[in-house]
Amino acid sequence: MIPLNYILLVSAVLFCIGIFGVLTRRNAVSILISIELILNAANINLVAFNRYLNPADGLGQIFALFVIAIAAAASVVGLVLIIAIYRHGKSIFADELNLMKW
Amino acid sequence: MSEIIFILIALAVCIFAFLTVLSRNVFHSAVWLAMTLLSISGIYFYLGAEFLGVIQILIYVGGIVTLFVFAIKLTANIEDATIKQTNQQVIFAGILSVALFLIFLKVIGFYPWQAGLLSGESISLKQLGQLLMTTYVVPFEFISLILLAAMVGAIVIGKIKK
Repeated sequence: MIPLNYILLVSAVLFCIGIFGVLTRRNAVSILISIELILNAANINLVAFNRYLNPADGLGQIFALFVIAIAAAASVVGLVLIIAIYRHGKSIFADELNLMKW
Repeated sequence: MSEIIFILIALAVCIFAFLTVLSRNVFHSAVWLAMTLLSISGIYFYLGAEFLGVIQILIYVGGIVTLFVFAIKLTANIEDATIKQTNQQVIFAGILSVALFLIFLKVIGFYPWQAGLLSGESISLKQLGQLLMTTYVVPFEFISLILLAAMVGAIVIGKIKK
């Protein structure tokens, strides 16, 4: 088996790429896509710690399962909000949505 | 041998994730996201979490990426190559992400992870199902409640008002 550090390294790379995407993208759908990358980085960490530190206990896998379900619900609601905003204002670029700014 | 496989999967994850974040076309970005998630399911298979790998392919690649594609197609003229897809903070965001990664690198290299390692077989699918139905049954039921609430909320928000 590969040492635990390498798996954590992959997860850290994925997390930082996701953070970069959230901070730089203008399109709201792209921001949601980057958030999915961040959630997957967290999932990799959960499964890796479960496998290496306590393989007989399935807690990490079960929590990764819950994270996947929550991510599905979150992306559904987020995408519907984006589509509603698009119908309302014909724009989904995050820097043009300043309706609630005073 | 298994190390080489893992390094190939890890390289695929990182390259696909970079393409997801950097591609100008939003539809291409969604396709690269699907490839990233498939590679991540490879990591799950490598770690002995077969059920999670299958769920990853089914729910993420089969469900969530399809939703993203629908959202991209429903919001027209956003995949035009002439529209700028990044804001003015690219340099600062790059510096921040690299700094964050260096902090992670320091922590990962610093802590003696190998000290607490246990060997042994990974949990089987049967045990996983038993745990979900006995010890973790309350969060399991709450997840179904959250999914129902998300579905109802999505229908209510997405309804076209006359």
